[in-house]
Amino acid sequence: MEFWQDTKQPIDAFLKMFEKCMVDPELSAGLKKVNQVILFDYTQDGPDCSFWIDTRGGKLTAGAGKPSDKPDLIMSLSADDAHRSWSNKLNPVMAITRGKIKVKGSATGLLKLAPKLKRVAELYNEVLQESGQADKILK
Amino acid sequence: MFGNTGKIIEVDLSAGTIGQKTLPEEYYKKYIGGSGLAAKLFWDRGNFDTEPLAPEAMLVFMNGPFAGLKMSGASRNSVAGRSPLTGVWGDSSCGGYFAPELRYAGYDGIVITGKAKAPSLLVIEDDNVSLVDAAPYWGKGIESVNDGLKEKYGKNCRTVVIGPAGEKQVKFANIMNEAHHAFGRAGFGAVMGAKNLKGIVVKATKKDMTIADPAAYEKLRKEVNPALKEALAAVVLGENGTAANLEGGMVNGDVPVKNFASNYNEEMGSKLTGSELTDNYLTKRSACAFCAIACKRVAEVKEGPWKTPEGPGPEYETIAAFGSLMNSADLAATIKVNRVCNDYGLDTISCGMTIAWAMEAFEKGHLTKADTDGVEIRWADMETVINTLVPAIALRKGNLGELLAEGSVSAANKTGKDSIDYTCHSKGMEAPMHDPRGGGHGLALTYATSPRGACHVATPMLFMEMGACYWPEIGFEYELEPMTDENKPESAVISWEMGSIENSACWCQFADREMQISQWVDLFNFVAGYNWDADEMLRAGRRVFYLKRLINSRFGLTAKDDDLTPRMLEPARDGEPEGIEINLSGMIERFYGLAGIDPEKGIPTRDTLSEYGMAEEAAAVW
Repeated sequence: MEFWQDTKQPIDAFLKMFEKCMVDPELSAGLKKVNQVILFDYTQDGPDCSFWIDTRGGKLTAGAGKPSDKPDLIMSLSADDAHRSWSNKLNPVMAITRGKIKVKGSATGLLKLAPKLKRVAELYNEVLQESGQADKILK
Repeated sequence: MFGNTGKIIEVDLSAGTIGQKTLPEEYYKKYIGGSGLAAKLFWDRGNFDTEPLAPEAMLVFMNGPFAGLKMSGASRNSVAGRSPLTGVWGDSSCGGYFAPELRYAGYDGIVITGKAKAPSLLVIEDDNVSLVDAAPYWGKGIESVNDGLKEKYGKNCRTVVIGPAGEKQVKFANIMNEAHHAFGRAGFGAVMGAKNLKGIVVKATKKDMTIADPAAYEKLRKEVNPALKEALAAVVLGENGTAANLEGGMVNGDVPVKNFASNYNEEMGSKLTGSELTDNYLTKRSACAFCAIACKRVAEVKEGPWKTPEGPGPEYETIAAFGSLMNSADLAATIKVNRVCNDYGLDTISCGMTIAWAMEAFEKGHLTKADTDGVEIRWADMETVINTLVPAIALRKGNLGELLAEGSVSAANKTGKDSIDYTCHSKGMEAPMHDPRGGGHGLALTYATSPRGACHVATPMLFMEMGACYWPEIGFEYELEPMTDENKPESAVISWEMGSIENSACWCQFADREMQISQWVDLFNFVAGYNWDADEMLRAGRRVFYLKRLINSRFGLTAKDDDLTPRMLEPARDGEPEGIEINLSGMIERFYGLAGIDPEKGIPTRDTLSEYGMAEEAAAVW
């Protein structure tokens, strides 16, 4: 991996980012509209490298690993490309076209999330800054 | 001949004669089919002085080589000729079910000239082709005519029909297949109306087709169809229709708001987006022939002012044209107006654009109640749009109907007072609902250079800038940044080749996104037996693009006509593209150089034409 020392590091960062998203007024409202369970699958970098979010029923929860319920959408990519993606430095359409991101399931949630990536990236950069990983912030 | 039947029907409505003609195989190899082959037939006929609505005008319906072959998205049909809206070359593509039936009946296309003495229908039943009286259908809306024809000729017949707008020769009248699928653009419904041709019915009893290598084709088909179905784009389109990403497009600045004056209204985007239609109005999904994507919507508005019975639902273009473009977030109104426009037979893009222009003109005082028969034309006033403006246009009622039925450019020219500055078009055809300032500067280049005028489906440029195309075999493996001019002329050359292939092969741009270049080449070889390589295939695409530009040259267009309007080129006032300028002239200059186009005449140079096997055509223009 280019950006990460181990597979725990990215998951910790991404979960902290989602904690911020859940309390951000704009993003929490947007996430609730997604109304799906989404698995972000980075297991190509290690068996434990994944996390999920559950945005159903007006509640927002997230956790490491795999969700107990069947996900509506699974996005599979590398942890490095996930870093680029959450930094809003990866064109998701192009990444999908070129096979860097594999998507399985309903795409409704993906389309609801995509317009919010700019704001998500701001929060992600805050997480990197606060956790002493400012060197990972992509310009 | 493999793949194509080689046969077309020739109809002279003035003489009441019907014949058949066999086309040389060379025509297919050089111009593929669809709008490309139609352009070749138009060029051969050479009636460049004939007005679009004159009896002598030529109207061509043409299939591609894959019609009826059970490939997802590959059974579209093109109609073509001189557009009454623009006065220059026009073509318009339609999905639905017409193309396979025509193919099964034994024909690749239909060439129609003349004017019938009385309203007529062309009825094709295999080898029996006849003209019959259409008086019972004249004046009626498309839905009831389609129902009536199904009753008379059987539910399995396929129809293409015009509505009252076509009969009244509204310049953006469309032609509808099965009352659901539209030959929307360029106004060919008016051409049929001018010819007293209410519709065409086709009914085939055989399905004989000869292709070059059936086993290889079937193997490829079984590879390609599942891949197309499973692609993310297909999943997105199937779930939420062509408006699936309207919300995201609004954030990017791609969706026009208030007659292209704004590129951003997030709330509007979220209210008009495809998932809203799915959640609130969708009753079922629908598809064109053999298509596994099923992006078509069937919708119902159960209550409220726009109560609409279950029927064909709006696509992205209609939702944006009668939504954000008019500063309205009323999704139910777009469902209603879609049905109304379909039944009258109006292109919803040009109709929406013309009304949005009128809204701005009224706001600015360039149009007053004295011009509009006393009607106030206000932003987002959908009641006036649906109950007054659309019927007035379709039936050419009063001064207002006559003014707007000619399209936005004509209306602005008649109105004066600088109102032409806020029309949005190229070559007289109103722009579709993708604003190149946010959608991508390459789109501005392809809008401007498009032979038929501003068009988002003439090339795959929108998808290329989005990142949805990857063709390393032909040099397109780089990333495009939408809101710059970098690499846009280079990619526009590829986009014109690929777009011309798609439209001549009559493929749907949504379905073929997953197709690799090698698969395209294999398809042509397995079906038509061309023995092409990628270069030969691209040369055919380039030839089609060149021929359409030669036709436009004969209509008097030059390089100066490759342009966009001031409204479309002014830096966006808000949203993601705010303040960014489009370097259109710079992109065009470089594009001309790369494509071998003369910078004054706007047509390929003599050397370029010779290089592409078009020396004969070159001799006619140089």
